[in-house]
Amino acid sequence: MTDAGKHRVLVVEDEDNIALALDFLLTREGYLHDRVANGADALPRIRETSPDIVLLDVMLPEVSGYEICQGIRMDPDLAQVKILMMTARGSAIERKKGMALGADGFITKPFELKELRAEVRRLLQG
Amino acid sequence: MLARLGLRLRVFLLFAGLGAGAVAVLSLGLVFAYQRFAAPEALNAFVQAGIVGALGGLGLITWVWFLFDVNVARPIDLLAGALRARAHTDIDAGLDQTSVRYLGDLGPAASAAAARLSETRNALAEAVASETTRLANEKTRLEALLSDVSVGVVLCSGAHQLVFYNGTAADMMGAEPGRATGLDRRLFDHLREGPVLHAYARLLAAADSDAASDLLCSTVDGVRLLAARMRLLPDGGGEPGYVLTLSDVTADLAATARREALLAEVFDRIRRPAANLHMLLAALPDATGLPPRLEGALLAESAALTVAVNDLGQRHEETRGDSGRLTLTRASDLFDGLRARLGTRIAAGRGQALRFAEPPPLLLRCNGFEVVALLGILARNLDETGAGPLAIRLVEDGADALLRLEWQGEPLPLGRLENWLEGAVDPSMPEITGRSVLLSHATEVWPETTDAAAGKTRVDTQAICLAVRVARQTGPRPEPVARAVVYDFDLLGKERSADIAETPLAELTYVVFDTETTGLLPDRGDEIVQIAAVRIVNGRMIEGEVFDTLVNPGRQIPAASTGVHGITTAMVQGAPTPAEAVRAFHKFAEGAVLVAHNAPFDMAFLRRLETASGRRFDNPTLDTVLLSAVIFGQHEVHSLDALTHRLGITIPEEARHTAIGDTVATARAFLKLLPMLQGRGLGSFGALLSEVRRHGRLLKDLN
Repeated sequence: MTDAGKHRVLVVEDEDNIALALDFLLTREGYLHDRVANGADALPRIRETSPDIVLLDVMLPEVSGYEICQGIRMDPDLAQVKILMMTARGSAIERKKGMALGADGFITKPFELKELRAEVRRLLQG
Repeated sequence: MLARLGLRLRVFLLFAGLGAGAVAVLSLGLVFAYQRFAAPEALNAFVQAGIVGALGGLGLITWVWFLFDVNVARPIDLLAGALRARAHTDIDAGLDQTSVRYLGDLGPAASAAAARLSETRNALAEAVASETTRLANEKTRLEALLSDVSVGVVLCSGAHQLVFYNGTAADMMGAEPGRATGLDRRLFDHLREGPVLHAYARLLAAADSDAASDLLCSTVDGVRLLAARMRLLPDGGGEPGYVLTLSDVTADLAATARREALLAEVFDRIRRPAANLHMLLAALPDATGLPPRLEGALLAESAALTVAVNDLGQRHEETRGDSGRLTLTRASDLFDGLRARLGTRIAAGRGQALRFAEPPPLLLRCNGFEVVALLGILARNLDETGAGPLAIRLVEDGADALLRLEWQGEPLPLGRLENWLEGAVDPSMPEITGRSVLLSHATEVWPETTDAAAGKTRVDTQAICLAVRVARQTGPRPEPVARAVVYDFDLLGKERSADIAETPLAELTYVVFDTETTGLLPDRGDEIVQIAAVRIVNGRMIEGEVFDTLVNPGRQIPAASTGVHGITTAMVQGAPTPAEAVRAFHKFAEGAVLVAHNAPFDMAFLRRLETASGRRFDNPTLDTVLLSAVIFGQHEVHSLDALTHRLGITIPEEARHTAIGDTVATARAFLKLLPMLQGRGLGSFGALLSEVRRHGRLLKDLN
């Protein structure tokens, strides 16, 4: 298989161990992926690579996941980028906030990999 | 003209006139006689006779005038002066009778009137003095009584001047105990004014003399946090005064906050490693070389940990925001508060127009003052950035309500909004920032854009959304629902109470509970939508032991029922099923005597669920309807409203017809009935039960 047909995933996550697990998982699923550990670097990287989907942690150094989400949605060039937010404190109100700011999905840590896989597939197809 | 002259002068003029008249008549008579006589030589004799007659007559008149003046005119003047002096001053001496002895009965009569006046005056003075003493005594007694109660009591005038406060309130507010003197002692020298003014305005707007408003305020130095209930004083006219009952919740809230922080930290620190562990394990390649059973066990444990952390976290999330800082607040009150704070044109900043959409009838669980202050800050900041005219509306959204601050134009970057949250929401409370308001309400605020196309407007509609938890719908107060009165004698059955028949009432543990339902007919499929209960141990309601849950009845809640309890079908999504809720309640009530108002109604719903939940309710049961009948007689009205009114218990308007509100009211009524029952010699549970049974039978006969 060539890289051309593969979906590109950007992981924005400051915790190395989660990023490591996601790295294994995404490789196994056959996605092309990349990681940013700092909130401030996320938007420039997204503009540069325009990935198909961003796995976006909420609690990030410097710029929060919510702000990045709003930034993506305010940029008409990034309209087709899907956003899946990941948070460690998934209250109903945080979910509402995430969706209102333009996230396409919201997933609470710790999550089952099955769940993540299904959510990513759903967003990439829809 | 004559009337203006003095009495004595007038009498003198009268006599002078009489003298002049007599002389004139005499002269006229002599002149006439002289002409008829026609003897010029007799002229001298006529003149002499005239002079003698005139002098004699004048002398006589002068003498009579003198007597009249000394014995009548002057004494009348004296008497008038003496009476006038008594009318205007407090002279008690009797009138001098010698000078008025020729005035007939006038002297004694005036004397009697003066004496009577003096008596009346003394009696009035005595009455006033004794009444003043009585009031002073009563006030002293009241002050002594109030100084002993453990809550702070503060009495204020409508201008927020302190009129009275007891020692407890003085300790809480950091003031000198006793009665305030002078007009310079304002309540706000001790307490911060924002929340107090907010509650006062709400009560004025409510125009209900029975209404009470709960508030949370801090002392001026910010050291103590006080929970207060405000009630307006009747009458007074103009701005009514009010009573504040205060209790110091600093320690409670600090303890709650510490526990809350600890819990939050526990979740924060466990969730991350649990999440990482779980994901790393799941990401392991298939051929790890681990024995398969070991790998299976590892994965299972990690999955269990994930489930536990998520489940507990969610439950923790649901209880956040249930703290004592949040009270039930009407949406319309919140809007009134905003209108009062911001006006229809924002006071500071660029002064854009502000429109308030009519809010839906909801009761919100929030600290009204903090939410109003936070929205105020957001609106002012927005105004300064140059957003267009603003509108504030409240939109129902599932179990929450969104307060939306809307404008048309450019979107608001989240980063800027978050900066605004770092500032104090009110200058009088520097430690309360927008961020801390969000934390204490367990909520979030965010900007939102509605596309022009979707919103059917020319430009995009922008909004700042603040989510607030909805407690229930409100409406005009519903008519009391006549629950069918049922007497279920199984509840009074001997066998379920045999063990505790000899136990004194005071030593039993009670669980007082109430349910809200989809309707009145459990046997036709009506179901529970809310259960609340409190526990009474050793004659006291236990603060922390409260059971309060919504229940998803698995069917639509009819609008008529929502009108009563304010619970909508949307609000119970995600709530436990009736069987789950009843299992939890069964655990809460284990080993306790169940108490409810009209218990057979609530018990019928619990009974029906015994199979589904696998729990039997064989607790001994008491019904406050029957206890009320024992104390107040058969012919009184025994509704919860009537009973609490008779016992002097007030239920805040917002709490009526909520399960927890009615439960607390029932519990407080029960606590007041207990000593009355003991006073009737019904000291043990068995004795009470046979008395209640007697009344139950009578009631049954009546029906």
